[in-house]
Amino acid sequence: MAIKNEDRLANVDVIEENFESLHYICNAQIATAVFLAYHLEKPILIEGPPGVGKTELAKTTAEMLDLPCIRLQCYEGLDESKAIYEWKYGKQLLYTQVLKETLGEILEGAKGLSESVQKLHDFGDIFFSEQFLEPRPLLKALKAEESCVLLIDEVDKSDQEFESLLLEMLSDYQLSIPEIGTIKANPDKKPLVFLTSNNTREISDALKRRCLHLYIPFPDANLESKIVHARVPDVPERLRSQLVSFIQELRSMDLKKVPAISETIDWARTLILLHTESLDADLVRQTLNVILKFQEDVEAVESELQSVTNKALKEG
Amino acid sequence: MTSMSDRTLVDFVKVLRTAELKVSPAETLDAMQAMDVVGYEDREFLKNTLSIVLAKNPEEKEAFDTCFENYFSFDKFQETETENITENTNEFDEDGEFDPDGSPQGGGKSSGKGMGQGGGGREDDDGDELESTSSLGKLLLSDDNTELMIAMAEAGRKVQVNQIVVFTQKGLYTRKIMDAMGLAELQQEIADLQSTGEAQRLNLAGKLTRASDRLRDKVRDYVEKQFFLHADESGKQLREELLKKVKLSNLEKRNFKDVQEIVYKMAKKLIAIHSRRRKQFRRGHLDIRKTLRHNMQYDGMFFDLKWKSSKVDRPKVMCICDVSGSVSNYSRFLLMFLYSLAEVLPKVRSFAFSSDLGEITRLFEQSTLEDAMAKTMRDYGNGSTDYGQMFQDFKNHCMDDVNNKTTIIILGDARNNFGEARDEILREMYDKAKRVIWLNPEPKMSWTVGDAEMKKYAPCCHQAEVCNSLVHLERVVSNLLRAAT
Repeated sequence: MAIKNEDRLANVDVIEENFESLHYICNAQIATAVFLAYHLEKPILIEGPPGVGKTELAKTTAEMLDLPCIRLQCYEGLDESKAIYEWKYGKQLLYTQVLKETLGEILEGAKGLSESVQKLHDFGDIFFSEQFLEPRPLLKALKAEESCVLLIDEVDKSDQEFESLLLEMLSDYQLSIPEIGTIKANPDKKPLVFLTSNNTREISDALKRRCLHLYIPFPDANLESKIVHARVPDVPERLRSQLVSFIQELRSMDLKKVPAISETIDWARTLILLHTESLDADLVRQTLNVILKFQEDVEAVESELQSVTNKALKEG
Repeated sequence: MTSMSDRTLVDFVKVLRTAELKVSPAETLDAMQAMDVVGYEDREFLKNTLSIVLAKNPEEKEAFDTCFENYFSFDKFQETETENITENTNEFDEDGEFDPDGSPQGGGKSSGKGMGQGGGGREDDDGDELESTSSLGKLLLSDDNTELMIAMAEAGRKVQVNQIVVFTQKGLYTRKIMDAMGLAELQQEIADLQSTGEAQRLNLAGKLTRASDRLRDKVRDYVEKQFFLHADESGKQLREELLKKVKLSNLEKRNFKDVQEIVYKMAKKLIAIHSRRRKQFRRGHLDIRKTLRHNMQYDGMFFDLKWKSSKVDRPKVMCICDVSGSVSNYSRFLLMFLYSLAEVLPKVRSFAFSSDLGEITRLFEQSTLEDAMAKTMRDYGNGSTDYGQMFQDFKNHCMDDVNNKTTIIILGDARNNFGEARDEILREMYDKAKRVIWLNPEPKMSWTVGDAEMKKYAPCCHQAEVCNSLVHLERVVSNLLRAAT
């Protein structure tokens, strides 16, 4: 495979550096996955809790390689007419109208029914042809001139049938349209495919088998601190380590939804807006709704707020 | 080189499979391809790579990490060494030592150390011109530790040590390997040497004895490791098979965790088999493509409309469990089963009774099985069973919710303490519901003995079955799902 800016995928360290320059801080596993995806020409299935940067990874990769990112958001009921292709019905209907009017010309001079039918066959049929085809994300990705990054987001939200539809695309980079035939990707410009899943249901083995599997867990304190630094560079270092250790502490608690990286970043931004120098219990209480999204979680944390904050202050 | 690494990889995949990772041949091929790209120099990189290619969910990743650390306990891809040595030596390095950066020097270091241990007894043998005659003896006294390891691994392969299943076989395999390596010959030699009485010969005999003792330890460690890699899981599978057939009432507390795991697995299997099926339905969005295609034959007039919407038909299950002492264990597992099936059976309502009926649906949704079961027992258990009262309660509270999509499962021994049977209510349920299933833990013979009322109840059920092991439960639940789709 040879896509542009290939050198940016030369090895794992290079990938890590390039990601970092785009403010996406990743660990070796993530970089390895991207490296392999390119060199083995296989899609990556990314799983992990919400808000750890699964979608972001695909977008950043596209940005890094300077390729277009084609996104397919999955939902229940998504079918081939939304994901692969659709016929341009209006134009098709117009075409039949036009055809009807010119029918006389076409059949001119034909004697008898069989000859007319023969003539009609010879005329050539473009009713089902690429001219009337409206490509949807998957087909677009296959036909992309300069390769592309295809992001199939939240594949677990789609139906099981849709998963089966994806198989042909994922294993052979081709799609079959019954009326036209098989459309293949340019073997040198295959799209880089990312699938994300939030694990609301188990992805079928058939799909998993065709993909590399990357699990992104919550980052450790060190990595998270780096991420906050990359995303919100204005945060002073002391506050950064405090808020990161506070978040890490929250993740160890029994909550309905623990804060993810995106919440950490939001919180860091909030604290900057409030001109915060250092965490304290009152401030945390007022801004808790930025990091916790359920009232029962907020209540659970509030009762232990003082001790958690003190701990974070000590560690930070 | 390639064939060596491929073989190593295949062996590793085998180990992964015993650890319950589902690795398909296609994935093994992927892994080989990936290893061609990645190379073997960087251990961490290799680990990440294989983890991405072979392990496909968080649990598998965890199991993978353990397997990887055990299997590649030190860098086995040394280009300077021959095929066999690299393949076998690492399995020997049972202290699990490895160089974190996996550099080639790391490998060299640990094999050097192994050599030191192996030949530890030889420091005092200065000026010894006597040579051992048996092949094993020669091997033991030679400096070549790797050579010895190859011999051991070869012997291991000969006696098929990877077939080891239970830990009691460890001794057996240790002896078999020693025998295959030529222990008999060595012992004969030692005996001969001792019988001469010459100091030098006695000295050699002593040395050989010590060496063979050390070898025994090595072999034992080797077998232990093989057991850990190959048998630990198959032993577990054996145990699981047994647990599935054991009577649920005979299960002991310590098995509950295992059983829970089994139930979860069975449920997963059922979910996979009975995945959702959609039905076309005359409602919802117009399916333009289908309509257009279909109406072409009517000259393009939209005559026969096709609809996009589809309908998921899921069973509604109501589960009524007797929780009096004798039956509570069965109820526990039935409920465990039903709640593990939440993905395909989202609408389970459960009730418990011994005399009065109470709904425990929320309890089971919100708390762990142990808690829920304990609370249920506290609130509803320990009364004397009264099926008549239960049916009356059901009629008063829930009969309106029963419709022709409902499946009602009743789990109980139908021992009514000679109370009123009220089977007419059950008949009413039978008429209203799609199915009524009665699960009875007692064998069919005793269904009509004593205060049992099965004779009256059974005709009012679509299905009345004996159910006292996990296998039975699985069958019932599977039937339930099949009937639903």
